[in-house]
Amino acid sequence: MRMLRLALRNLRREWHLPELRTLAASLVLAVVALGVVATLATRIERGMLASAAELIGGDIGIGSPQALPDSFAVKARQDGLAITRTAGFPSVAFAHQQAQLLDVEATDAQYPLRGTLELADAAGRQRIGHGAPPGTVYLDHRALVALGLKVGDRLQLGGRELTIAAELMRQPDGGELLALAPRAMMSLVDAEAAGLLGVGSRARHRLLLAGSPADVQRWRDWARIATLPQGAQLITPEQTQERMRSAFDRAGAFLRLTALLSALLAGIAIALSAQRYARRKSTEVALLRALGTSRRRVLGLLLGTLGALAVPAAALGMLLALGLAQLAWLLASQLFGNVPTSLPLAPALAAAAMGLAVLVGFALPPLARLAEVSPVAVFRQSMTRRARRFDALYLIPLLVALLLIWSQSSSLKLAGILAASLIGVAAIAALLALLLLWLARRVAPGAHPALRLGLAALARRRMLSVIQATSLSLGLCALLLLAIVAPSLLQGWRQELPADTPNWFALNLQDDQRAGFAQALQRIGADQLNMAPLAVGKLTAINGQPIDRLHFDDARANDWADRQLRLSWAGQLPPANEVIAGRWAGPAPAHAEVSIDTMWRDMFALKLGDTLTFHVGERDIQATVGSVRKVDWSSFRVNFFLLLDPVHASELPHTWLASFHLSGGHAEALAQLSRDYGNLSLVDVDALLDRVREIVDRVGNAVRWILGFSLLAGALVLAASLAASAAERRHEAALLRTLGARRAQLRVAAACEFALLGLVAGLTAALGAAGAGLWLGHAVFHIEHFVPPLWPLLGGAVGAALVVMLLGLAGTRKVSRTPPMRLLREG
Amino acid sequence: MNDPTRPLLEACHVSKSVRGPEGRLEILSGVDLHIMAGESFAIVGASGSGKTTLLGLLAGLDTPDAGDITLDGHALHRLDEEARADLRRRLVGFVFQSFHLLPALTAEENVMLPLELEGSSDARSRAREALDAVGLSPRRRHYPAQLSGGEQQRVAIARAFVHGPCVLFADEPTGNLDQRTGHHVCDLLFALNRDHHTTLVLVTHDASLAARCQRGIELDEGRVVPGIHA
Repeated sequence: MRMLRLALRNLRREWHLPELRTLAASLVLAVVALGVVATLATRIERGMLASAAELIGGDIGIGSPQALPDSFAVKARQDGLAITRTAGFPSVAFAHQQAQLLDVEATDAQYPLRGTLELADAAGRQRIGHGAPPGTVYLDHRALVALGLKVGDRLQLGGRELTIAAELMRQPDGGELLALAPRAMMSLVDAEAAGLLGVGSRARHRLLLAGSPADVQRWRDWARIATLPQGAQLITPEQTQERMRSAFDRAGAFLRLTALLSALLAGIAIALSAQRYARRKSTEVALLRALGTSRRRVLGLLLGTLGALAVPAAALGMLLALGLAQLAWLLASQLFGNVPTSLPLAPALAAAAMGLAVLVGFALPPLARLAEVSPVAVFRQSMTRRARRFDALYLIPLLVALLLIWSQSSSLKLAGILAASLIGVAAIAALLALLLLWLARRVAPGAHPALRLGLAALARRRMLSVIQATSLSLGLCALLLLAIVAPSLLQGWRQELPADTPNWFALNLQDDQRAGFAQALQRIGADQLNMAPLAVGKLTAINGQPIDRLHFDDARANDWADRQLRLSWAGQLPPANEVIAGRWAGPAPAHAEVSIDTMWRDMFALKLGDTLTFHVGERDIQATVGSVRKVDWSSFRVNFFLLLDPVHASELPHTWLASFHLSGGHAEALAQLSRDYGNLSLVDVDALLDRVREIVDRVGNAVRWILGFSLLAGALVLAASLAASAAERRHEAALLRTLGARRAQLRVAAACEFALLGLVAGLTAALGAAGAGLWLGHAVFHIEHFVPPLWPLLGGAVGAALVVMLLGLAGTRKVSRTPPMRLLREG
Repeated sequence: MNDPTRPLLEACHVSKSVRGPEGRLEILSGVDLHIMAGESFAIVGASGSGKTTLLGLLAGLDTPDAGDITLDGHALHRLDEEARADLRRRLVGFVFQSFHLLPALTAEENVMLPLELEGSSDARSRAREALDAVGLSPRRRHYPAQLSGGEQQRVAIARAFVHGPCVLFADEPTGNLDQRTGHHVCDLLFALNRDHHTTLVLVTHDASLAARCQRGIELDEGRVVPGIHA
């Protein structure tokens, strides 16, 4: 308690010291930067999840092949959750003597709880709606065209006469790509009355729920341990369709990257200020020691003072972070539509704790060393030598950065690449700075007097110059990564979804229809046509053991073992596939071979050489696992879990799956195509593509917001870096002025010094950001052919050098005005 | 330049005050003096008597509130800070009580500083000569922290006269040194004064050191004590 009082008194006395004020400001800004980024990132991630919830129509749900017991809905009501029920089944609709198989979704009036159901009336006016009222039905465009109907007409579905109340434009559908038939939506009451959901129906029932995150989590925890009916499973936003999940994963990686870099910037700023404070305190510690204060007490007093400063600063930073995050969210809320998310407190609290941890991490080593200062130091001016030795501790930002990266990143790969890149940047910056100093020594004697002074100034502060160049490089590298590489990565991601990405799939194409279909597509202006054989079968045995006698640890395996599987074959490895074990069979292997996706390998615990038996039509085929593939499911190409070799598979009964791109406005032509090829199912995936594009845009906007705060942290690094040498500069300026140096001489010298420093830092940072971007693009974001934007990076580097020079000059203005009398006053 | 028949440095009715927490504080009041070229001149007085302030004004580091100061025919009070800096670079050398060597520079590099400021191309060789003159050639590559107090002050003296100033201002040059080392340093200063005809203006409270100067004044609460002029 006494120590705390002493520390508080000490803080009151020392508050005028610029070091302490800078330290407090650094800590506040560090916590603000960390807190705002973390809060925004958490909110955006929640927003992303909520966005995924829009896809499934609720925050969470259960899907089941049979009607669900009431207990799940009762518990949900108890937990305060809103409820909706749906049932999906195929059914044939009749109108004007035409019949069409429809993919029907029967819902209650509450559907959807999340996301929007977009409908259009007879005049084409769009509106947002809910489940179809009893006696009515909504049909999608394909269904209307196939049956030759329009809104307001009547059709027969499940033996009931229903009125088409609207055209179904878009619905939360879980992002399922391969919906086989045109869609219809009817009332659950009608479906039940028509006996469509009775015993023996093929309906898949869903119970969807929505509410506050805490309520949803409570129900989710309960449902996890409750006994689900056979075949039932939880539907969660995280489990949305594979392609969407990949998009969310990437989005998360982007946000983590930006948060990490901001944390790093803040860490560097704190480090520089803390080190400067410790340097100043060395003389005082020698005096205190000489006056009889024990080493422990000195250290306690220092830590107490720092603590008395840090705790309120961290608290202030936290409050500001929450306020700014809320403001940013309000300003950016249109990005997420009406996605409801509350302000999370945990990230800001964690940021405050992290800021304090970083402060302790950076301040403790030099402060601990201060305890070693001998009392005899008061008699000799040898402290400067010791202080130079302390300078080496400026390299600690690297270590703490590693810890920060480790603690902040949930992706080991992302953390590793960032850490390795930043270590590389630090090493190159230090080497370049040393080279510059070596050159300075050699060039200085013959150079222009002002340049010579600048070079001499750099050389004079050898260690500090190296440290400044290193910390500036790290800070600039982080900023360039954020400002130039991240948007470029986003652009790369976007370009993966070019405007001509296949947006239509045609299923059930027969061998003899292929040529005619291709010609028909060409006529209506479709391109990017690709066809893959498709056989539907079941897995019957693994290594000769019948599948129903095998037990699998992975619950998914049992589900897949029951399912109809889609098999295809290819002579060449398809794009977006990578063989990661074994070898690709090629066009004509001696025995039947199958290439499996990694998910299959993990689900069934398969290894190379295992044999899989499939029953397709009336035939069995036994194939050896020849290779394991990693499939990029985000590529929007037609991909398969199982690929057989063409020689042995081509005799299997099969149809063809065609994918092609057709720009909008061809509804009539497609309807004609649908009529000409009545057996075909045409699937529109534009909605899904739009969803992914939307996510890319949202992440892009979020990154821009975060960048603003990171820039502030970057400016602080710069200020702290320049302030690190300010006291030395002031003393030096006073001496040089006393010896007759002109103000302009000091300014030009400072300009040379800072320009060189900025150039080293800028070039190293550009190099590092390009390297890290290349590495991240390929290893983390899997963006093929990503090339970092070299010219913008170089421009950024030169710009950074200029900014460093100008800020350095601005800082030196005050220094060059230091009255020379100050030196005499100092003795 | 060093014409022994006319004063090199003149101060007429010089006053200086500063603003303190309790209002204005008069540090110097109506100081008059003149120092001839090549002579050694002591300014003595107790702590707080205004010695250092007067030295700063005479050297052009600061300007008086009232009165005139002329250095080698240049009216300092009419020059701006830049012009005064230019004059200092050409005419003035300094020796401080705390040496004020730059810690990151070797002894030789410290001595080179004034020459670098005037753009001299033979700074290194001249610095070596200056160090040789103060007997520190073997220590030229040493950093200040590796030198004793006396050695540091000798480096400071070498820096002060390396560019051949006509006047050397020394502020308590022996204040941080033991008696023997102090003597040695003073010998050096007086040898420079004698051999190079460099005017020496010395601020000290050491009576024996002041006695070695040809003339001097004593300050008391910012005023010249009458009758002490040698």
